[in-house]
Amino acid sequence: MNDAEIAVDREKRSRPWGRQVLAALLKSTGARIGLAWVGVLVLVATFAPFIASSHPLLLVVDGQTSSPVMAYLTPVDWIWLIGFVAVLLFFMLPGRLWLRMLALLMTLGVTTVLAYTLVSPPALIIYEEYRELEQAGAVERVLRAPIPFSAKDYLRDMGDTGVEAPLQAEDRRHWLGTEDNGADVAARMIHASRIALAIGFIATGIALSIGTIIGGLMGYFSGVVDIIGMRLVEIFEAIPTLFLLLTFVAFFGRSIYMMMIIIGITSWSAYARYVRAEFLKLREQDFVQAAVACGLPLPSILFRHMLPNGLAPLLVAASFGVASAILAEATLSFLGLGLVDDPSWGQMLNQAVQSSTFNWWLAVFPGGAIFLTVFSYNLIGEALRDAVDPHTRRTEGTS
Amino acid sequence: MNLLDVEDLVTELASDRRWMRAVNGVSLSVRRGETFCLVGESGSGKSVTALSVMGLLPAGKHRHPSGVVRLYSHGDEAIAGRSAALDLLHADEPTMRAVRGGRIGMIFQEPMTSLNPVLTIGEQLDESLSLHYPEMSDQQRSERILAALEEVRIPDPAKRINEFPHRLSGGQRQRVMIAMALICEPELLIADEPTTALDVTVQAEILKLIRELQSRRGMGLLFITHDFGVVAQIADTVGVMSRGELVEVGRVEDVLGRPRHDYTRNLIAALPERLPRPVRPPKVTTTPLIELRDLKVHFPVRQGLMRRVVDSFKAVDGVSLSVGAGEVLALVGESGCGKTTLARALLRLIEPTAGSILLEGQDITHLGRSGMRPYRRRMQVVFQDPGSSLNPRLPILSTLREPMRVHGIGRDDDARRHRAAALLERVEMPTDSLWRYPHEFSGGQRQRLAIARALVLEPRFIMCDEITSALDVSVQAGILRLLRRLVDEEGLGMLFITHNMGVVEYLADRMAVMQAGRLVESGRTEEVLRAPQEEYTRTLLAAVPRLVAGAPIPRQGSGASAHP
Repeated sequence: MNDAEIAVDREKRSRPWGRQVLAALLKSTGARIGLAWVGVLVLVATFAPFIASSHPLLLVVDGQTSSPVMAYLTPVDWIWLIGFVAVLLFFMLPGRLWLRMLALLMTLGVTTVLAYTLVSPPALIIYEEYRELEQAGAVERVLRAPIPFSAKDYLRDMGDTGVEAPLQAEDRRHWLGTEDNGADVAARMIHASRIALAIGFIATGIALSIGTIIGGLMGYFSGVVDIIGMRLVEIFEAIPTLFLLLTFVAFFGRSIYMMMIIIGITSWSAYARYVRAEFLKLREQDFVQAAVACGLPLPSILFRHMLPNGLAPLLVAASFGVASAILAEATLSFLGLGLVDDPSWGQMLNQAVQSSTFNWWLAVFPGGAIFLTVFSYNLIGEALRDAVDPHTRRTEGTS
Repeated sequence: MNLLDVEDLVTELASDRRWMRAVNGVSLSVRRGETFCLVGESGSGKSVTALSVMGLLPAGKHRHPSGVVRLYSHGDEAIAGRSAALDLLHADEPTMRAVRGGRIGMIFQEPMTSLNPVLTIGEQLDESLSLHYPEMSDQQRSERILAALEEVRIPDPAKRINEFPHRLSGGQRQRVMIAMALICEPELLIADEPTTALDVTVQAEILKLIRELQSRRGMGLLFITHDFGVVAQIADTVGVMSRGELVEVGRVEDVLGRPRHDYTRNLIAALPERLPRPVRPPKVTTTPLIELRDLKVHFPVRQGLMRRVVDSFKAVDGVSLSVGAGEVLALVGESGCGKTTLARALLRLIEPTAGSILLEGQDITHLGRSGMRPYRRRMQVVFQDPGSSLNPRLPILSTLREPMRVHGIGRDDDARRHRAAALLERVEMPTDSLWRYPHEFSGGQRQRLAIARALVLEPRFIMCDEITSALDVSVQAGILRLLRRLVDEEGLGMLFITHNMGVVEYLADRMAVMQAGRLVESGRTEEVLRAPQEEYTRTLLAAVPRLVAGAPIPRQGSGASAHP
């Protein structure tokens, strides 16, 4: 076979399994809706400071152009922005999957370190600074964000502001109203989308990694490893996530990272069970036995021959897991044990309940966002299950 | 005296928004007391024909553009002529329910799954009885159930009635299935490969039982099979199906002895015992490639709270054998005799309890994982199930290249790809298969690819575990020829596990018979087949349904002569 023939053969190559699943996934309307919503969330979360900020995007004062938004970008903002570009490149660039994955993780790590050492926004943030400047008439030209309020801008300069229904104030425009302290609901929701996304992905990522490794070892080695592993699973299943979170919040204070880790390390047991069951089944399969008989190394047998074949139920469970992690954070925040000042959807719902009057905009918009996000992940999970299941998916080609 | 008439039956099945014609204009008729064998390869439409007759195809997923299926009842012809016959294709569901189980009984292929595991045998038999004979009292019904179980010769039926299916062996379950099919005394019995999943000795008993019951009751029997040996034993009339069409119908002696259609001729010629054997020079006894000395594999039986080992199940109990270069040793035995366990222990996929395994004179019994690696190259394996023998997530190229990479064969990936392509040519597969995934291939093609995977490491010894038993005869013939060529041309040693005596006869130089973990007899293939020394070997060989060339087919029972 010479190279010309190989070039012809390339035309006849079958699509890899991943592409086939993706194509089947995109055929489902539910998955498209879900992915579209998650995509919107990702965009909103990444560009949150440019969508909702009290600082102008561009400002011309005394003939000098400046961008206050850029000056006020926090390390977290930078990580989101660079991370977004890195993930885009991860999907666009060709090359081996694990190499790209490695590059992505390294980029994220380096960005985090650099962001926290190099970026230092002003410690004191005066939200009303530019509004006052503008009223004083010192500004020549200004370009503001679509929602000209930051998440924590309590409108101190506007007098005694408090809860306002959408579009009530005459001099300001709050599309979704304001909350108890007078901050813009739309701005808070936009910034809260970061927490919703991050907690879902990171907590599930932690759970998935622990679950896959422990479950894989249990399934492949069985025997004593299996017995010990299953007891460990049972111990972790006996711990209610919510109470553990409450305890940790009481001990270590409120931190979003703490929440991610705790949700992650308490919810891996379901994944471990799935992987174990799949591996027990796969271990007896002829192609795995043949791989052992070929003398292939253990990592290859576990991760190349067994894991991709047992991935299907795991992916489905993970997409539901993301939804439940978001709900867990919302629940905590709703109970008033979440973050103090930083916005989160659950915390906003909490405010809706605590007011003496029922402020529908505080309940409907964050509640709707939680509902839509959880629903989207469930839709994706549902469609993924159909896409990976050979019984419901039609095989293409000449089978 | 026709019982069932099928005229120009066309069945189309919905597949991917298109209609696939599965049965294309089949006409046949079954008379009372007659056995009609429908024989063909997989996908030929023989099962779909039976399911069409029963009206068991999924609703909305099938249609019959044309065709008539008539079921005549007793005396119809005399009283009212053809008009009294029941048209099964257009009958409504309540009528069909009364017909199924009542006038037509059916036996399926897989005895392990066709009984409901959560109901007792008695309950399952009772169900169809109380449905079709609501007027019978409990007492009458239980007597009838007992009689039915006695009729199919279930030992101690009074006790078995209250047992669950998992307590019965495969053969006994198939007997229960037959009892269930016959309990309402149907006029027609449809049997869809009822003995394919059973051992030969059990198969022989079940066939004898079906034959006896049929001649006693004068039923019509529509028997579906792919095995010409079974056809020769049981059929009065044979229909050969190919691609949805009935290509040849005739009396069994005519069809098997003097096939008229090319397809039938090719099928019969592809039977392993009919394959032309190349002349082989007698082997000079060389040093054995692989040798087992008193190998034992025992599985502990644990009981009680502390999981104490109370006993051990002796799957392989002291087996010694050897395979030389350029030699095929066939290991024969019924299911559960330990042949697959022996194979896995030999390859060090499971740990042997005692004994030793020698590969080219070196003891590899106690080598660890890394110690085994260089030896893995020299002994390879091909497994039985073509559905699971290749990793479904990897293209063929990756499956073939990875072992080469691990063992350092080939200079770089390019060289390895060329080697893989060359290997595919050796196993008679197109080279563009390299970039395809296993699900795109048929069973026979997958087995060829599995052979290629085994050959990629240039082994000295290949273990084949029933690799052709899931394949059609014509496909099997191709694979057997390929294996023999590999052994003859490259001097490979091969241990071939099978239960098919025809395959043994074609392929093996020597054979060994295994029973309950022990070797009962071994020797040169011709000698063992011609003059078996042990009682067990004789039973096994006698049970094999055979189709002897030219010789008149042995008839048994009175079913054939019952009708004019």
